[in-house]
Amino acid sequence: MSTESNKSLFTPVNIITGIFLAIGLVITVLRFTKGLGYVTNLDDNNPWGVWISFDLLCGVALAAGGYTTSSACYIFGLKKYHSAVRPAILTAFLGYALVVFALHYDVGRPYRLPYPIFVQPGTTSLLFEVGLCVFLYVTVLAIEFSPAVFEWLGMKSLRNKIHKLTLALTVFGVILSTLHQSSLGALYIAVPSKIHPLWYSPYLAILFFVSSIPAGLSMVIFEGTLAHKPWHHMMDKTHLDEHEGVILGFARGASIALAAYFAVKLVALAADNNWHYLATGWGAWYLVEVLGFVALPSLLYAIGSREKNIKLIKWTAALTVFGIILNRFNVSMVAFNYQLPSSQRYFPSWMEIGISIFVVTLGVTIYRFIVSRMPIFFEHPEYKDAH
Amino acid sequence: MEFFVYHDYMMFTKSIIYILMGLFVVGFWGIWAFMTSRDEEIHKMPEHHKE
Repeated sequence: MSTESNKSLFTPVNIITGIFLAIGLVITVLRFTKGLGYVTNLDDNNPWGVWISFDLLCGVALAAGGYTTSSACYIFGLKKYHSAVRPAILTAFLGYALVVFALHYDVGRPYRLPYPIFVQPGTTSLLFEVGLCVFLYVTVLAIEFSPAVFEWLGMKSLRNKIHKLTLALTVFGVILSTLHQSSLGALYIAVPSKIHPLWYSPYLAILFFVSSIPAGLSMVIFEGTLAHKPWHHMMDKTHLDEHEGVILGFARGASIALAAYFAVKLVALAADNNWHYLATGWGAWYLVEVLGFVALPSLLYAIGSREKNIKLIKWTAALTVFGIILNRFNVSMVAFNYQLPSSQRYFPSWMEIGISIFVVTLGVTIYRFIVSRMPIFFEHPEYKDAH
Repeated sequence: MEFFVYHDYMMFTKSIIYILMGLFVVGFWGIWAFMTSRDEEIHKMPEHHKE
């Protein structure tokens, strides 16, 4: 390796990445050698912590860009969004793969991963349904993403065979996403006495599914914005030309989806007659979430889309992504066990947060490796217009 | 508001939901009309005025 390439390896970003990964690896060893109690603040009252709230619930919601983008392009025939499909599928694949990876920290004994599907399927459990869907959807995403790998490796025949499955895989992906996005919300229907009434609702399954649509669309805009500068040189003319159209179109979709999410939130509030809670401290926090991170981004997206204000849309995407993370945290952590005294409430340990940062860093590192090599932001010269 | 039978409770909450649904229909139409109004202006423009 030349001196120049050695130099380029030790960039500030790479050094920070290396530090996060090294700390994460040490905590990983501690988790699997000394157990959950050593690295987490979890207890009998709070068996699910930040790993479920962030790595799993947020990870799955924000990976929804895969099914929203591919269904827009292949099912609804909006080919003008084709250049956004591969980055979205890659983000979704990495997102789901890391959800499965991160789940090992909570569940333990990684060699038993196939058990719930192949050995002891608990078919009456919602967790089984989530597990089965995630298992199938990771497989679908891996197959959907594989043409990019085969193009990179020059395996033309295999790439063409799998490319023919695109529509079937997209339909399958939408079905699986609908099922498990909603099932993650449905998991919390089982604990009506533990979640504050403003966040608990029999509509939780619908709320989780509906909110995943703007989450996915916003994540595509957000990720595209972040990727635009460092990988601008990897983007071909088609990608750059379509970029603005993707942002404007997705902003329009996200605005309507957020409005629908806001509507279901209000219906859930009205159905349980929980209006009186709005005048409490919890109510103020609820209004911050619903007005500040659902209604406001919906309005900002509408204004940005109307005025063709790309900058406003990009900031709104970040606001929406943050809002979805806030909602998942509220349901699974902040408003969870709200009735317990503060001494018994859960707050993650630094090592739990360290693992979450480790998982995100790992995802970003793999993402950087892939987009720097494979045809993600550009069409491979041998397959131009082959869609 | 106090409820003595489940029927009253359902009547009250469902009635509010029906009112909300009416408002949402108007609201969704409003958002869509607001978002697409400039598109219509562009479509109505003479060809040489379009970007």
